[in-house]
Amino acid sequence: MVEQLIANLRGFIPEVSLAVTFCVALVAGLIVKKHQQEFISVLALVGTLIAGVFVLIYADQSQTLFSGMIVADPFATYFKVVITLCSIIIILFSQYSSEVQQTVKRMGEYYALLVAMTLGMFLMVGATNLLMMVLAIELTSLTSYILSGYTKEATDSSEASLKYIIYGALSTGLMLYGISILFGLTGATDMFGVNQALAAGPVNAIALLIASILIIAGFGYKISAVPFHFWTPDVYEGAPVTITAFLSVASKAAGFAVMIRFFKVCFIDSNVVGLPAGMWASLQGFEWNNLVAILAVLTMTLGNLVAVWQDNMKRLLAYSSIAHAGYMLMGVVVLSDKGVAAVLIYFAVYLFMNLGAFYCVMLVANKLGSEHIDSYKGLGHRAPLLSTAMVVFFISLAGLPPTAGFIGKLYLFAALLDAQWVWLAVIGALNSVVSLYYYVRVVRNMFLRDPEGSAEPVALPVAQVVILLALVIPTLVLGLYFGPLVDFANASVVMFGLP
Amino acid sequence: MQEFLNWLKTPGLTHFLIVSGILFSLGVFAVLTRRNAIMVLMGIELILNAANINFIAFSRYSTGTLDGQVIAIFVIILAAAEAAIALAIVLNIYQNFNTVNVDEFNRLRD
Amino acid sequence: MLENYVPIFLMIAAGFGFGLVMMKVNEWLGPKSPNAEKLSTYESGMEPVRSARERFSVKYYMVAMLFIIFDIEVVFLYPWAVSFKELGMAGFITMTVFITILLVGFYYIWRKGALEWD
Repeated sequence: MVEQLIANLRGFIPEVSLAVTFCVALVAGLIVKKHQQEFISVLALVGTLIAGVFVLIYADQSQTLFSGMIVADPFATYFKVVITLCSIIIILFSQYSSEVQQTVKRMGEYYALLVAMTLGMFLMVGATNLLMMVLAIELTSLTSYILSGYTKEATDSSEASLKYIIYGALSTGLMLYGISILFGLTGATDMFGVNQALAAGPVNAIALLIASILIIAGFGYKISAVPFHFWTPDVYEGAPVTITAFLSVASKAAGFAVMIRFFKVCFIDSNVVGLPAGMWASLQGFEWNNLVAILAVLTMTLGNLVAVWQDNMKRLLAYSSIAHAGYMLMGVVVLSDKGVAAVLIYFAVYLFMNLGAFYCVMLVANKLGSEHIDSYKGLGHRAPLLSTAMVVFFISLAGLPPTAGFIGKLYLFAALLDAQWVWLAVIGALNSVVSLYYYVRVVRNMFLRDPEGSAEPVALPVAQVVILLALVIPTLVLGLYFGPLVDFANASVVMFGLP
Repeated sequence: MQEFLNWLKTPGLTHFLIVSGILFSLGVFAVLTRRNAIMVLMGIELILNAANINFIAFSRYSTGTLDGQVIAIFVIILAAAEAAIALAIVLNIYQNFNTVNVDEFNRLRD
Repeated sequence: MLENYVPIFLMIAAGFGFGLVMMKVNEWLGPKSPNAEKLSTYESGMEPVRSARERFSVKYYMVAMLFIIFDIEVVFLYPWAVSFKELGMAGFITMTVFITILLVGFYYIWRKGALEWD
């Protein structure tokens, strides 16, 4: 037993190091003196880096841990890399966020909770047991409720966290009820067991449909898909920018990972022959991907159309992130390795461009104290570097060449056309055109409008410029030289226990 | 009547599922109609407990393993953690807004 | 089985109904002449200091939250204790890790002063 435990821990080192970092950061926040609080951020950074290094060291393993609770496989590894990168960038952001730096007394909590959230996401991407899946989602959610209300004196922040916990807790409840029905139908808590039971004989189709709609509600909330998106704009606007950026990338990535794994492992039909290589089929009589297709169409259309009317930058980016979730859902619909690989590529790209956009918004808010679109007027002349970077991120978000966003969209649409989902691809393309409008609106405000009020230049410290460049350069480079990323993504669609 | 009484006196899986279904509906109803944040959270607790009844009933009557009961223990703990954090957030809201009615927070909207 | 109890349920319902009707009738027909002495607490009962329907102190919620968290850990400890022999050393190590993490949290709230009432 003990040998088995130790053997399992070997594949679990990244998570263990995050857990240790969490405890150490929490205690350090109490011990370290007030003026030395930067020390905790260094601690959190080092801990996350160590976890990332262990992820890369054990990148080639594919095994199940703790009697089937979670797995460590290439698919999980890819998402762990994305999440680690994201949390490292967010920890760096936090050093320059005036919102976060105002709360010196509680800095230890902030970084400890960030690390705990990363841990929750690590567990999410590997979970193969329904219970483990729920607990991991809950660990991620609970920490994000607290963090979105972290600046607790600010009324916006506390309102955001209340709305978040009400929507979040409701979706978790619905999801658990759905899982309880699924457990009743199949008698298994393990995803592979669920698959075997469903493949062995037909179950009550209506009960299965209700269960999967309830479970989709849980995933949909995590990735903010319409109609489970209501919390997204409010929370994104009210929460500190650093947390908003983290939620929009890492939390969404983990949500997609757990959703893809759940649907693929639970509902794959392994006995179908004659499919083209890299495609798979869902179990007879249960085409869950049609449900997801409807979700994708709703999500991207609503996200893009509502974003057009937004005047607050955080709200605009919130609706834009809803729309991006819609694009990525298209990759899930097609039931092919190409589709999953496209989602993986899109997340790597989305990491840089979306974090970059939020970073620019944060810097502007730090300097001008406003997130309103009007305060961006004439910014192109006051802060040329910042504005140019922002243009790059927005072009990338809109999916135009020569940026990384174009590559992400290219692979998504290629996967769609490859699997004959032409109508969905057309809707996706139309949506991209709509999205261009609101991105260009910001760019126009920055470069073609005269500043309102003061017109003096906005200077950036060197360290902030370095972080900005660290996000701009990958966004541009991945648009031209994307071979290694595509190879990595293609190698990472392999899940443990599936052919 | 006699038939109904006969059905009632032999409790089986269906009985538990009906109770959990009622509890689930009441929970959703509470979430949708209540204005007080605490009441909304109590509705969510009802939903979680409905799921719990399902898990234990299935574990007892259909699977014959202890899996369902173990899940129920974890769900209880999950509900407790959620309740503690929700209470803390509601307290914070009360200090900032002097109310806990969910429809009175509309600083963030389109 | 169950129908044997029907008379008992009827009896209970009748009893409650009769009691309620008598109370209402009394209230409706009886003469009322309240004075301060009549309304005061009977015999050796305590005089109420103030209304019981008041807000609890925020401190109470704090303690309640911490109580929930540290109370619920027993739910894990109990099944573990029952099957301690079967789980053996691995179970013991796992539980030690669990309790250690819990102790970190306990140390945190202690140092934060959440356990001080004043």
